[in-house]
Amino acid sequence: MENPLSLWHFYLRNKRKVIPVIGILALAILGVVVTDSLLASARETAYATFGSYQKLILVAPRATRDQDLANPLADSLNQLRDVQLKVDTLDGPGGLTAYYDAVIAIPARLRAQLPAVQQLQIDAANARYYAARLRGDLVPLGDLIVRVQRLQSEQQSFDQLVQQLTQNPSDPRPLITYLQQHQTWLQSVLPDTAQLGRLQGAVSNASADAAGLQRSLQAMSNDTANLNAAGQNVANLPVPPSPSATIDQFKSALDRLTSSLGAIQAPQPGLDQLVAASARIPGAAFVKRDAYSNLDINLLAGNAQFDLYGVDQPGMRQLLSLYGDQVIAGRLPQANASEIVLSEEIARSRQVWVGGKVGNNLDELDRLPDAFTVVGIIRGPTRLGIIPLDYMTEHYLFERRYQGLVVVPQAGQEQAVHDQLQKLIGDSAFRLFDWTYIKGKIDSLIANLDTINHFLILLVTIVLALVVGLLNNLFFRQRMNEFGLLAAVGYSRWGLIFRVAWESLGVTLAAWILGVGLGVVLLSWFNMIFMVPHGLLMNVFDWNVLALHTLPIPLMVFLFGMGTVAWQLLRLDPISIIERRD
Amino acid sequence: MLSAQDLALDYRSGSSVAHAVDTVSVAVERGSFVGLIGPSGSGKSSLMYLLSGLKRPTRGTVAFEGQAYRDISSSGLIRLRRQRFGFVFQQHFLINYLSAFENVMVGAVKRNHEVAAYAQQLLRRVGLGDKLRQRPYQLSIGERQRVAVARALVHRPAVVFADEPTASLDQATGREVIRLLADYRTDGGGSVVVVTHDPAMLTGADRVLQMRDGPLQPARGRRHCPSWRR
Repeated sequence: MENPLSLWHFYLRNKRKVIPVIGILALAILGVVVTDSLLASARETAYATFGSYQKLILVAPRATRDQDLANPLADSLNQLRDVQLKVDTLDGPGGLTAYYDAVIAIPARLRAQLPAVQQLQIDAANARYYAARLRGDLVPLGDLIVRVQRLQSEQQSFDQLVQQLTQNPSDPRPLITYLQQHQTWLQSVLPDTAQLGRLQGAVSNASADAAGLQRSLQAMSNDTANLNAAGQNVANLPVPPSPSATIDQFKSALDRLTSSLGAIQAPQPGLDQLVAASARIPGAAFVKRDAYSNLDINLLAGNAQFDLYGVDQPGMRQLLSLYGDQVIAGRLPQANASEIVLSEEIARSRQVWVGGKVGNNLDELDRLPDAFTVVGIIRGPTRLGIIPLDYMTEHYLFERRYQGLVVVPQAGQEQAVHDQLQKLIGDSAFRLFDWTYIKGKIDSLIANLDTINHFLILLVTIVLALVVGLLNNLFFRQRMNEFGLLAAVGYSRWGLIFRVAWESLGVTLAAWILGVGLGVVLLSWFNMIFMVPHGLLMNVFDWNVLALHTLPIPLMVFLFGMGTVAWQLLRLDPISIIERRD
Repeated sequence: MLSAQDLALDYRSGSSVAHAVDTVSVAVERGSFVGLIGPSGSGKSSLMYLLSGLKRPTRGTVAFEGQAYRDISSSGLIRLRRQRFGFVFQQHFLINYLSAFENVMVGAVKRNHEVAAYAQQLLRRVGLGDKLRQRPYQLSIGERQRVAVARALVHRPAVVFADEPTASLDQATGREVIRLLADYRTDGGGSVVVVTHDPAMLTGADRVLQMRDGPLQPARGRRHCPSWRR
């Protein structure tokens, strides 16, 4: 025989009161499920995006002054101007030409009688020759000046842009204009490797010619001294330029220029030694040189730079084998080609497939220069992006400066290899990136969102507990007669409290199940239509989210609602209700 | 069966004391219909609360079947009310989301087919056999009070306490309700204690006691109404 006071009767006969409460609670729980799942998705996607670090350690240069291309460029400019000034002085009024003219002006008879004067004439001619050559040598260096000056004007444009945006942040036009110009300035301003080689050759020639000039001037000085020592004063012969004062300054200016240009072209200092030493670390499975770069991708929690490994051909296959990834479409990049292979999730995130292009030329947020053609798609447990080492190091000036190495420790040797690498690096301009470091960075990125999310959950819980608690109390007051009668005819207080508790528990439980169920359905749909196509990870059945993070809401609502009702039930006086004449 | 000796109930408000019930002794025999009448504020409802264990007396004792209430725990008294007593109040106090039949079953101690059949029988006897599934708001006031009477009787209580059961009813309906209660003496074998301010409602009572200041007095001018007996 059915109990008329059963929960089923209660819910069935009070649908109009119960369903709205269940609905409100379920919607709140749904909201928490969705926001929490998206946050968890952001974390999981970030973990997956940088998951390659779980099996390797990246040794990358630190951005020190040595790594800063702008400094050697600026130094070169200064040295070049210095050199020009010195040559102008040497070959200008009162310089070599004046001296040569004075020598030529000596009467031929006198010059014939004095071999020292003849020698002086020869040496002065040589000096003029070298000075003229030196001027010619400086012409290609002027190209560098122009480029560096453009770099400086770029800096001015950038400063101007920042100023404009600061003054009027809502007007994007200066930014768009700047970006349009900016797209190509790297290519147009920076010299490529061949140009840089020619420049270095020019500087080298200049240096040799400067040495010849120095020798000639020295000889002239000696000739003059010899003439004076012989007591044969040559009228109107000026004192030649001092080799020690002028040429030394000139030569040292040229040497500094050579050094600055060398710093631009030279690969990461100390890298070769580091690669060799790392390969000898016990526990290192393999070590590869890496010219790394980045692609900009969206991680839900914001944009991130996806790391690309620039390795040689064997290294590409070794990386795929290490992670158990496979090329499912296309092929691996060829040597010395602007080609890239990407994991399918990253390709989806960037809306590209085989034949598509990525790079700074197409997306200003990519650090990968130019435009690389996607030649292959990878599928597997770890997201990877691989580019050819040789192409990166031979074609892009900046990328030469960002060479490092990839060290893959054997299983269980991660910490030991890490410690050994750290010891090898010492104080040099390198640093290690491993999973602990990367995970810490991701967690710190997500931590702020986590805090906001927890605050929102707390807020929702408090507000809902108050709202539903008040509704509960309102409902309870409407049922005062029922409880008064039941207490009067012999239903115990605790029996009534338990009854109300079961009723509340049923409502909150139903709301929780409904909210979580709706959440799963909604997230599954969202996962299908948005997350997967954009290469974002979402675990629809994350029980940590579904259970742990949503339970505080029904629990708090239940406890608060029940607490107030139980308190009133314990103080309930059935006689006062019976005697009420309303 | 139910007896009270020198019962008193005081209400204190600051330094003043109001004597709601003042030294009352009464005995209710098995199968009897006892009426309690008195003017408003004479303490008749309070006496009923004391007799049914809804209130503890300030002084005096109440005993049911020889056991004094003071020797019974609170939970024991609650059990007593639930299992051995039935209640009808001035208002019907029906649960509005339950049907007439379900409201009657709220009073049942055991819920089985036999009790359910008895509940239906009671409802038929009170003239609501065709309204078993009706909700309280679909019934008239008199019908609701009859459902309340059936609810008070469904578990075959030893004593039925009715506190002004006819106050909100018209004369004819009131008489019908009182007759239903009076019939319980013979049909259910229980005792009935009816509190009312209307002496006309107690014409079928075996004994009518009048509440005034001081001890209960047998009411004068009481007469039987044999037609109530079946």
